[in-house]
Amino acid sequence: MSEPHGSSSAARRSSSAARRIPGLLAGISLVVIAAFFFFPMIWMVLSSFKSNTDIFASPFALPTSIDFGRWAEAWEVGQIGQYALNSAIVTAVSVTGILLLGSGAAFALSRYRFRGRTLFMSLFALGLLLPLQSYFIAQSSIFTQLAITDTRLALIIPYTAMGLSLAIYLLKVYLDALPEELFDAARIDGAGDFLVFRALALPLLRPGLATVAIFSALAAWNEFLLALLYIQDDALKTIPTGLLAFSSRYVTDYSLLFSALSIVTIPMIVIYVVFNRQIVEGITAGSVK
Amino acid sequence: MKPDRAIAPYLFLAPALLVFGLAVLVPMLFTVGFSFTEWNGFGPMTFVGLDNYRTAAADPIFRDSFVHILGYIAATLVLEVGIGLGLAGIVSARRHSLWFRVAIFVPVMLPMVVVAILWSFVFNSDFGLVNATLGALGLEGLQRVWLGDTSTALMAVSVVSGWVFAGFYMMIFYAAFRQIPSEVLEAARMDGAGEWALFRRIKVPMIRNAVAIAVLLCVTGGFQGFDLFFVLTNGGPYGATEIPTTYLVKTVFRNGDVGYGSAMAVVLTAIVLGVGMLYATLQRRARTGATS
Repeated sequence: MSEPHGSSSAARRSSSAARRIPGLLAGISLVVIAAFFFFPMIWMVLSSFKSNTDIFASPFALPTSIDFGRWAEAWEVGQIGQYALNSAIVTAVSVTGILLLGSGAAFALSRYRFRGRTLFMSLFALGLLLPLQSYFIAQSSIFTQLAITDTRLALIIPYTAMGLSLAIYLLKVYLDALPEELFDAARIDGAGDFLVFRALALPLLRPGLATVAIFSALAAWNEFLLALLYIQDDALKTIPTGLLAFSSRYVTDYSLLFSALSIVTIPMIVIYVVFNRQIVEGITAGSVK
Repeated sequence: MKPDRAIAPYLFLAPALLVFGLAVLVPMLFTVGFSFTEWNGFGPMTFVGLDNYRTAAADPIFRDSFVHILGYIAATLVLEVGIGLGLAGIVSARRHSLWFRVAIFVPVMLPMVVVAILWSFVFNSDFGLVNATLGALGLEGLQRVWLGDTSTALMAVSVVSGWVFAGFYMMIFYAAFRQIPSEVLEAARMDGAGEWALFRRIKVPMIRNAVAIAVLLCVTGGFQGFDLFFVLTNGGPYGATEIPTTYLVKTVFRNGDVGYGSAMAVVLTAIVLGVGMLYATLQRRARTGATS
């Protein structure tokens, strides 16, 4: 650049001053956008403290008092504790299954060369794109034949299977990045196949396993369609289907339903705020495969 | 690495393959098989060749369901990918935006059913936020039964979807923007480019790949959408929001027409896989085009 140094820095200063006003505007617009985004959730919590009459009379009015009475009632009659427990069991078992089976398969596909490897790899890759609709009709009839509908297995099996493709793909990326010498050295030290997997590969995979655990857990916790089809027994329903059943039982008791929604939503937001970095990374890694 | 025993890789692979094969691959083949039959799920099964596919091609509800889902996909491309890109642009131009990114991502965490029940209240015609806001602004004339009006229901569902996923795409684009070398941006700023010009002429073109992936996710995900539609409208009013997934679930699990539902499922699968492969081909062509 032939421009003298002084004038260039002056130009920069003036442009930064010019940028300050749009910067302020952008700041204000962020606050407005965030308020707009959050309005439905704030309204949900506020309405949970109001009576049905007040909800109808003035939707915007603040509650006259913060009374958790309806929350307690929603927790009780809505069996939210039971649904949460069911969700927790199904999620925990599915995620454990995905991590165990997924890391084993990723290890085999990444570190060994064997007959059929490419075929197996493309089968799992197909699973990345395959919509649920391509298999759930026959899956449901098989589950009916095997009499496992209305058991937790009916959710654990498909959730594990559905999570495997992505888990294997991501874990394989992690394993592929490890140097071959590491494994050769372990082998020379006399470690057998299983020991190499357990004592070398698994510990090195830990960050990958955490990512996989996060998005698999959220997927299982939030899954709706299969839970709707396979579980009719109210005692086994997970949060999504349980809450839906609850909402159709108390269709017009809005303050009770607002309370139930708040009970389900707030813990998730708290968990999210605490672990936001890991969760955001996990979810985006899980989708941008 | 050489296996200690030749069977080792297969042993590591077997459990995953077994679960995936039995729960996904086998049922997928069965679904294709069902699509050539007439079957109510338990009685005798009759082979009917391509009849179900002919019925699907002539079924006005099935055809309309694609019109609806394409409208929904178009709307969500704007409301999710478009707004997500805009938000990422604003956020990446500012230093202190962590709180905002955290906040806008919240709905992505929540079960769709919870989101749907909440928004059914937001759209409620008696006390819902939308009508109450319009009333407060003196715009009573614009008040609607949003989810019960054939002209607004599909748009209303799309808005809910946008509310959930705009933050998701914002995160994807924000991460991509951060990959842009800061020298590039600094150089452009030196040349006097304002933030808007920077966004439009440099930042967005540089994250083309992330935008392409986002569009692919939005389109393929859109075809598979179910939860919001099922809870908010279940295809109504008068079929105005009937989409392929809600229609095929009704066909199989309410009408017991497994064969016909399977044929529709196969068509839907073919479309999703087709879009995915089209994308892969375009990506490959773009990549080889860039290197040659």
